[in-house]
Amino acid sequence: MEMRGADVTSIRDFGRGDLEEIFAATDRITDMEPGRRRQLCAGKSLGYLFFEPSTRTRLSFEAAMASVGGTSFGISDKESSSAQKGESLADVVRMMSIYSDAMVLRHSLDGSSRFAAQVSDKPVINGGSGTEEHPTQAIQDLYTMRKVCGKIDGLTIGIVGDLKYGRTVYSLLHGLGNYDVNVYLVSPESLRIRADSVYDIKKKTEYVESDNLNECIDALDVVYVTRVQRERFPDVEEYLKVRGSYVIGADMLKKMKEKAVVMHPLPRVDEIAPEVDSTPAARYFEQARYGMDTRAALLALILGDGDL
Amino acid sequence: MDESELTVRRIREGTVIDHIDEGRGLQVLAALSINGSDGGVVTIALNVPSAKHNKKDIIKVENILLRDDDTNKLAVIAPRATVNIIRDYKLVEKHRVSLPNSIGRIFMCTNPDCVTNSGEPIESMMDVVDKTGRVLKCRYCGRILDITKLRYM
Ligand SMILES: [Zn+2]
Repeated sequence: MEMRGADVTSIRDFGRGDLEEIFAATDRITDMEPGRRRQLCAGKSLGYLFFEPSTRTRLSFEAAMASVGGTSFGISDKESSSAQKGESLADVVRMMSIYSDAMVLRHSLDGSSRFAAQVSDKPVINGGSGTEEHPTQAIQDLYTMRKVCGKIDGLTIGIVGDLKYGRTVYSLLHGLGNYDVNVYLVSPESLRIRADSVYDIKKKTEYVESDNLNECIDALDVVYVTRVQRERFPDVEEYLKVRGSYVIGADMLKKMKEKAVVMHPLPRVDEIAPEVDSTPAARYFEQARYGMDTRAALLALILGDGDL
Repeated sequence: MDESELTVRRIREGTVIDHIDEGRGLQVLAALSINGSDGGVVTIALNVPSAKHNKKDIIKVENILLRDDDTNKLAVIAPRATVNIIRDYKLVEKHRVSLPNSIGRIFMCTNPDCVTNSGEPIESMMDVVDKTGRVLKCRYCGRILDITKLRYM
């Protein structure tokens, strides 16, 4: 696909070649002399529209944009409720498309970014849409796997935690569909992946569902942990019962392959014990750094003059 | 169309939708936004005995020649339905409904959190990803629709 001027609404729009192009651009941008890197989006602006709380994704985009010489501005969570005042999303998006060269949108509705891309005459990047997708997180995750494991093909990946509501999970699974991987989906029964969202995923990736991490932990190359949030459980007792089974601590590390890695889209609460942080398996902070670099590469490909 | 089965009068000009799955006649009307408000004669027959399939529903709309664009959407609700175009009492065209590649407007996405259900200025758009299995996918939220719970816009 032509990256210049492209929308990034769903990871499903990116084939393997497109992903590899972004990864190669990320490699180049990482090695680039900072002065040259800051020329890539010089004079360009990124508008952010965050209708849901997120400091992390917004910061990552702002840092990425700054690193390629562009500026960012916008509205986030606190202002958005008053900014919108019954105004339609369509109008807010149209307004932002007047002020900025591209925008990043986070919104609680599924499909919000695809809709925004329709009404905007500037590129729209999905910064998280409902429980549907978070494509730049998936790009970051895939890049991290490629970087820390050497390649993605052949990996056995366990995705652990809240798979029902975790938008990062769906984007990651769609992205992994471009590669030859084995996938285990580990979650409590009530937080399994949604049946109405797996139609395309099933066609490309075979996966095994399980509620017990111990069943597959020794087979995994990548343990991708997501948050299990208390508010997703109708009763607290059930939450307390399952919480511990999806926590990565020293005991779980012992059961893992020697070179297996632990990833997490962050922020974490208590799914990964602090004792893991200092081990070689812990890759989630490195993953966050790759988030900034992959976003910078994406912005440069979308907004730049092709000099990347 | 077997004239002897029809318990209602012949029409001079219009559209007859026949072989609608039993009990789906009213849904078909809703999907076509036919409610008689234009003053035209609309005849509905429910649970008509049928040789081919036990029972069927039939709808006759006088003076309106429905287009394939409209009637093909009915394949979601009534996959066996046939559309008969009548001119001057003669059957000039007859065909079975067939699912198009995509369906705009008439059905609402069954995902309550979909942007198409939010009051934004937007119409639904469903891609038919499997015609024989009647699998529809919302182009916006990407979810597979539950066709037993379809509602109309
Ligand atoms: Zn939808």
